[in-house]
Amino acid sequence: MATVREKGYYHWDGKLVERRLPWLPITRTGIMLAFKKRGFRFLFAGAFLPGIVFLGIIYISENLESFQAMVRGSDRLINITPGSFKTFLTFPPVLFLMIAMMVFAGSGLIADDLKHNSLQIYFSRPLRKKDYLLGKMAVVFFFILAVTLVPGLLVYIFKLIFAGSFKFFLSYPWLVLSIVGFSAFLAVFFAFYTLLLSSLSKNSRYVMVLVFMIYLFSDVLFGILQSIFRTPYMALFSIRANIDQVGALVFAQKPSHPVPVLWSGLILGGICALSALVLNRKIRGVEVIR
Amino acid sequence: MSIEVKNLSFRYGRITALDDVTLTLGAGAVGLLGPNGAGKSTLLRILLGFLVPEKGEGSVLGYDIRREQDMIRRSVGYMPEDDCFIAGMDAVTFTAYFGELSGMPRQEAMKRAHEVLFYVGLEEARYRLLDTYSAGMKQRLKLAQALVHDPKLLFLDEPTSNLDPQGRNEVLELIEDVASHKDIQVLLSSHILADIETLCASVVILNKGKVAAEGRLEDLRVTDLSLYEIKIKGDGGAFRQDLEAMKCRVEETEDKLIKVYMPAGRNPMEIFRAAARTGAQIRYFVKSRTSLEDLFAQVVGVD
Repeated sequence: MATVREKGYYHWDGKLVERRLPWLPITRTGIMLAFKKRGFRFLFAGAFLPGIVFLGIIYISENLESFQAMVRGSDRLINITPGSFKTFLTFPPVLFLMIAMMVFAGSGLIADDLKHNSLQIYFSRPLRKKDYLLGKMAVVFFFILAVTLVPGLLVYIFKLIFAGSFKFFLSYPWLVLSIVGFSAFLAVFFAFYTLLLSSLSKNSRYVMVLVFMIYLFSDVLFGILQSIFRTPYMALFSIRANIDQVGALVFAQKPSHPVPVLWSGLILGGICALSALVLNRKIRGVEVIR
Repeated sequence: MSIEVKNLSFRYGRITALDDVTLTLGAGAVGLLGPNGAGKSTLLRILLGFLVPEKGEGSVLGYDIRREQDMIRRSVGYMPEDDCFIAGMDAVTFTAYFGELSGMPRQEAMKRAHEVLFYVGLEEARYRLLDTYSAGMKQRLKLAQALVHDPKLLFLDEPTSNLDPQGRNEVLELIEDVASHKDIQVLLSSHILADIETLCASVVILNKGKVAAEGRLEDLRVTDLSLYEIKIKGDGGAFRQDLEAMKCRVEETEDKLIKVYMPAGRNPMEIFRAAARTGAQIRYFVKSRTSLEDLFAQVVGVD
């Protein structure tokens, strides 16, 4: 029978452990807090919808004779190739859903800690700056990979199951690596992008607007500049277009814009580098005591 | 010794924050005092391992401040001055979270969070969102998160700021209990001298980056000054001048009470002789204890 303790302070008789992954509690808590936000669960569930549609297309493509009436004349459209996976992962509504998830789950990751002075208690723990940042980034990784890598791989597996052969696998043995690699690229880019903006303000609502508007504005700017200057290089202004260019490279497809993919990679890499620089300056252990 | 630093120096650019500070702090509660810019925060930053000193060496609980920062943070509980919380969390989750980040197993951290929240008096409100907590509750919560991993040493930064008198007394009681009965050493940085006097047996006063005074409060009181409280009849101008000529510090309160701070070792009869010389009638004479405020004013050089 458990001892009934009176109110008072008791020493803890356990032993503190040195964690191999000290950032893991930060990630777990970040994910838990995101799911507590009103409406986020619906958004997260909704983000799987494109994957489900893609899965449906795969099913139809493998059972064309059953769907003759539906797909008459459009069978070329549902011919599944690596390009289909690229289209799925760079499809504007899919990217938009990722941004929407970042708005709700990512904007407060650092901004809320800055607002409520939590950094000082984080860093009074045996926690380094890289652990803190990795913990926060892993929250973004979780949500982005959940809607890219997970459906991407599932769809790939179901494609093999529906086909009943390894012909697709043998035709494109590198495709799994492309799905993993591009999902990881998206996760890393969105993590840097979101954390950069989240570290710029103590007001998470302001960060929400920034995350959404910068993505949207870059695309609108691309449209405006392209209509003025009539040059495809204006695509470099658009985050979405740059992601699309990198996707084309990873999935061995022709780029949507006749612009060197390296340039797009450099721009997205530059955003990540800028983010790393800003985060390194903003997240400082010495602010523990002011 | 819980904290030992030797010839510690640190500069922010051209500004010297700590200048050749040497300290040895023992068991129990120690007060850290000093005016703004004295170097208190810098000293705490160095002790917590956030700043690397330019010169000098030191240890906290035997761990080197340059090389074993993680061990220091594991063994030390820190209660910051500012309100710190995570929006959208309740107190149990918050406290357990920081226990886990300190290295406690998850289940243990949760169990322990309940215990310390009971201890600090937040048992009824432990499932409430922190966003709805009052200032007093947030202070208690900060103390709970500092205690959750059962530290050997507590750094408390202005633990009673922004509290009403009742809340202040309650927090002071908790800190006194921790410091005196729970085998946890406390380093208390505060501007409220009365708090330090209530809780601490020893004190360190920093001024302009140097140690201005250090030691047991009782010893510092006795050795530096003798305080006499006097009331006289008539104009005491000449009497005061005479005392000041004798190197005494003289202060007069609003109710005409004259406080004479006499250098240690001097004979109090000299006060009566001064009164006789200047024709002042002494109506009230009491030997009093110097307060921490007096000591602070003396070593820092302010009234």
